[in-house]
Amino acid sequence: MSDTPTDAVTQEDTARVEKEAARQVEPGRFGQVMRSGAGHNLGLVLALALLALVGVATGGERFASVDNVMTILRFAAVIGVVSIGMTFVITGGGIDLSVGALVALSSVWCTTVATQTMANDIHWIFIVTTALLVGAGAGLVNGLLIAYGGVVPFIATLAMMASARGLAEIISARKTQIVSVPGFTDAFSRDILGISVLVWIFVVVAVIGWVLLNRTTFGRRTLAIGGNPEASRLAGINVRRHTVLLYVLVGLCCGIAAVMLIARTTTGSATHGQLYELEAIAAVVIGGTLLSGGRGTIVGTVFGVLIFATLTNVFVINNLSISAQAFTKGLIIIAAVLLQKRFSRQPGS
Amino acid sequence: MKLKSTAKIVVAGLSVLALSACISNTPEKSDNVGGTSNAEAGSNDEKGDTVVIGFSAPAADHGWMGAISEQAKAAGDSYEDVDLRLAEGTNDVNLQISQVETFINDKVDAIVLLPFDGAAMTPVALKAMQAGIPVINVDREFNDANAARVTVLGDNYGMGVSAGEYVCEQADGNENAIVAEIAGIDSLPLTQDRSQGFKDALAECGLDVDNRVAADFTVEGGEKAAGNLLQAAPKIDFLWNHDDDQGVGVLAAINNAGRDEFTMVGGAGSANAMREIESGDSVLKATVIYPSTQAADGIKLARLLVQDKAMSDLVEVTVPRTIQLDAPVVTEENVDEFLPTAFES
Amino acid sequence: MTQSPKPSPDGPAASAEGGDVLLEMTGIVKRFPGVLALGGVDLDVRAGEVHCLLGQNGAGKSTLIKVLSAAYQPDEGEILWEGEPVRLTTPVAAMKRGISTIYQELDLVPGLTVTENIFLGHELATAGFSRRAEATQRVRTLLARLGHSEVDPNRLVGDLSPAGQQIVSMARALSHDTRLLILDEPSAVLDQEEVDNLFRVMRGLTAEGVAIIYISHRLEEIRQIGDRITVLKDGRTVATGLPVAETPTSELITLMTGRQIEYVFPNRPTTPPARDAAPVLEATGLSGDRFHDVDLRVHAGEIVGLAGLVGSGRSEILETVYGARRSSAGTVTVNGRRLRRGSVRAAVAAGIGLAPEERKSQALLLDQAVYRNVTVSSMSRFSKASFLDSGAERRAAEELSRSLDVRPAGVDRPVRNLSGGNQQKVVLARWLLRECKVLLLDEPTRGVDVGARTEIYNLVRRLADEGVAVVVVSSEVEEVLGLADRVLVISEGAVVHEGPATEIDESKVLDLVMEGEVA
Repeated sequence: MSDTPTDAVTQEDTARVEKEAARQVEPGRFGQVMRSGAGHNLGLVLALALLALVGVATGGERFASVDNVMTILRFAAVIGVVSIGMTFVITGGGIDLSVGALVALSSVWCTTVATQTMANDIHWIFIVTTALLVGAGAGLVNGLLIAYGGVVPFIATLAMMASARGLAEIISARKTQIVSVPGFTDAFSRDILGISVLVWIFVVVAVIGWVLLNRTTFGRRTLAIGGNPEASRLAGINVRRHTVLLYVLVGLCCGIAAVMLIARTTTGSATHGQLYELEAIAAVVIGGTLLSGGRGTIVGTVFGVLIFATLTNVFVINNLSISAQAFTKGLIIIAAVLLQKRFSRQPGS
Repeated sequence: MKLKSTAKIVVAGLSVLALSACISNTPEKSDNVGGTSNAEAGSNDEKGDTVVIGFSAPAADHGWMGAISEQAKAAGDSYEDVDLRLAEGTNDVNLQISQVETFINDKVDAIVLLPFDGAAMTPVALKAMQAGIPVINVDREFNDANAARVTVLGDNYGMGVSAGEYVCEQADGNENAIVAEIAGIDSLPLTQDRSQGFKDALAECGLDVDNRVAADFTVEGGEKAAGNLLQAAPKIDFLWNHDDDQGVGVLAAINNAGRDEFTMVGGAGSANAMREIESGDSVLKATVIYPSTQAADGIKLARLLVQDKAMSDLVEVTVPRTIQLDAPVVTEENVDEFLPTAFES
Repeated sequence: MTQSPKPSPDGPAASAEGGDVLLEMTGIVKRFPGVLALGGVDLDVRAGEVHCLLGQNGAGKSTLIKVLSAAYQPDEGEILWEGEPVRLTTPVAAMKRGISTIYQELDLVPGLTVTENIFLGHELATAGFSRRAEATQRVRTLLARLGHSEVDPNRLVGDLSPAGQQIVSMARALSHDTRLLILDEPSAVLDQEEVDNLFRVMRGLTAEGVAIIYISHRLEEIRQIGDRITVLKDGRTVATGLPVAETPTSELITLMTGRQIEYVFPNRPTTPPARDAAPVLEATGLSGDRFHDVDLRVHAGEIVGLAGLVGSGRSEILETVYGARRSSAGTVTVNGRRLRRGSVRAAVAAGIGLAPEERKSQALLLDQAVYRNVTVSSMSRFSKASFLDSGAERRAAEELSRSLDVRPAGVDRPVRNLSGGNQQKVVLARWLLRECKVLLLDEPTRGVDVGARTEIYNLVRRLADEGVAVVVVSSEVEEVLGLADRVLVISEGAVVHEGPATEIDESKVLDLVMEGEVA
């Protein structure tokens, strides 16, 4: 063994080395802008503007009318609420494949004859509460399985996706259930300030989501857990409980979306919410939330939802087939992810 | 009641007319293919004011639905005065609603709608009607009579009855015959109607359904469901399969299992199934027609409605509110008549 | 670009066995956007020598070996291999020449077996069918040559210890016809015995004519194994071909830093902390994974060091005290209050903080801003009804990072961009913000370069002086002895010695650790 410890250097040197290390990871100005949150949102705004431009160029008045914009927004609202919930789960390092099935289950559960009879006796709010509780409850099961059962999120929610859809079919006997509670339909088919209640619900959920993610301890913990669960645990965060809360939150969003879909269709059905999991994940990812967790953006998700909804609208207006639309959607997802990769890559050090 | 039965005959003829229109693309010279009756091509086909029609249907994930869209498109193309807007293919009611909303915004003259779920599409159809746009409801019924100006329906209950009657006839008094059923998507009312009709007709001759499974109108689903059914029932005498698209899978499963002890009846009436029947050496001996021309009829009716024309063979001066199509049985004897107009899956 | 002075290959031999020049690099320049990583590096390596590469973090060592292994392409400069100019375009091309690199972060596939890892990319196969028996046999031979025949070729690499994984990496390098082996800080994850074994293997290889480039922070290791030294500073060669035997340490340090070092460890307080007062942290009869019946008492203002080999149970003791692992017996109390077993949150609430061994994976949210890493354990202090006041967070983090001298300044920078030493300061700031009473430090200077080490040592001492009870675990015995007031020597999960740090020396500690005698 050697005798004296000799490997010590001065502080100035360390500082200089660090300065260089810091400089080393800074890309060009454009890349810098694109890597910042605002830059990413700017990219989304541009994409949406481009789509709108295509819409106006090809559809003219038919696209650029107030009615059409409202049509886009009403369509986006349902999937939008699900996507806000999905943003939290993905930011927290998880995934929820069961959202579509949860929408179906909630929609069916709160429109059974028994529920509707009670709602008629008590208040139409009873339907809403039932939907929210069913969604949150199923989310709780997901969360408990993942956080305390140690089941991988992909598998736990895949199982829930199958079971919830099946349960919805059992409850409804595979029949479409029609809502006949007048108060309910009246409340949700109204416009406020010329804008559909459904769109307002989406706005409120998005605003609450933004505040929750960016201004509260809940959001900060979500980012921490998604970025590094082990470090979060050792920093004293109750990772398990928080994980459960995340899945309850997305379940709750599914319950809200179910209410919105019921309002839109006046029905609850086991076939509601088909492929919503993919729609939501796509919107979240092109919005700029990292699929691996640790970084999330509500604004990005809202744009992601709007981009897909506008795309669908432009295709319908132009008489183009659903197949071409699906193809284009795939291209957009790949392009968005490649761009993200391009601007988040660090030069080797 | 007299009027109703007359209407039924005429409509059957009309559907055949539409069929020939799609195949030949020359509606002016309609051939007498159906052999039942033939409406003369009259002044109705003459060019009128241009009519903008919006058409929306569920995803073409099986042959019959694909044929529906194809034939609707062909019907639209066959008229110079029809501008057909297509918003095809979705199994998400939220999206289909927004498609119809786009039509309303566009102020189209009429909307032909084959809903993914009739009840779920009722509110938006009502909205269109309130906006003064007539809605022609095809195949899957709304739950509010005010939501559609015209409803074109296949006779689902009748299909079940036709299949049941055919089975009774073949069973020839054997009350112990084992009958199996492979249904389509169980959650659809049309499936429930078909099964009910089948059950009721069987009851007439003392039979009942011994084994029942449900598939999803796809080849893959049919293969899976039939595989399970054949495992569950070691001996079958009669098998009714609701849909000829899933029937491709069902036949594959039957061949794989090496089973040929029973008589199979199909549904919908695809060209495939008819060729099987024609060959004579298949277990498939018959199929019950469920016309894939409903949407094409819907387009034609929409045009008549907007142009203020009526169905010229009827005394009535406007288009009727409900039109239900016939569900005839195709067997080896009459397959030649139906094969040329059958849809390819 | 090749005029820079360098010893000629035929010049006075620096080492006894000075063989033919195998590799000669001249004027190597590598730029990254906005930074010059290498600004003219010269290096020559002879067959059969151990050539040591010295330099601070960020001096360009890693970039240089990546150029050599063809992970990067140099922008300028020339590489001669056996006197012939070569362009190494891909890592495979470098490997074909016989250049093998073992990186700091081992690049093994945890889910494959030892054999599968070793032959990854050049599997022994006939028409796609692997010849497993032959492969296993060859792996046995390789492992035996490395002195580790006890490693089972069919075990999953993920189940091996870090030292075991390094052996597999070495075996993989040797499975090719290696002529130049590059070892990037191989000793960082090894304890003394394993380092000795590594050196034995290296000597065996050089005797066969293999050249080795050896990178390490530890000068005493370089003295033990090295033949010649090249020193890098700020991406340039400041000296090359220095003979190890004749170059004084002070000269090396001067070359690396441009300054002489006077002392490393802070002075202990003249008045020792009050030992008769009740201890802040007390663990009694604590048993758990890999250790049993450990008593640990730490007083306010005291630094207690735990010395022991990797795997002796010292890290497990810390993690169990912290609640990150569940104890099977015994109690932990802070200021007399007993903590709930296996609850990190209880420990944190009671005022314990942990700076874990794997800083990046266990402590830091790498992509998050510095201030968020600092406040993550004290969020409730900055929130009203769970709404965060991020302005207050930033101010608090700024104040701390100024007092700890975290550089570069600016608390909105992601922690990823900080050097190891400054990352460690961020972790310490997190616990300072909580005003923790007990600080557990596991390998506090791992991955921290020599200059920043002193800062960390001073900081730890300052905290103790302010009344924090500190526990330090380190693989470097001198660090434990230099920093701590009192030392516990751990061997095979049990305390074998306890006493003041000043009354025991390094060789005594090593004796205890090796033999496991209870003193």
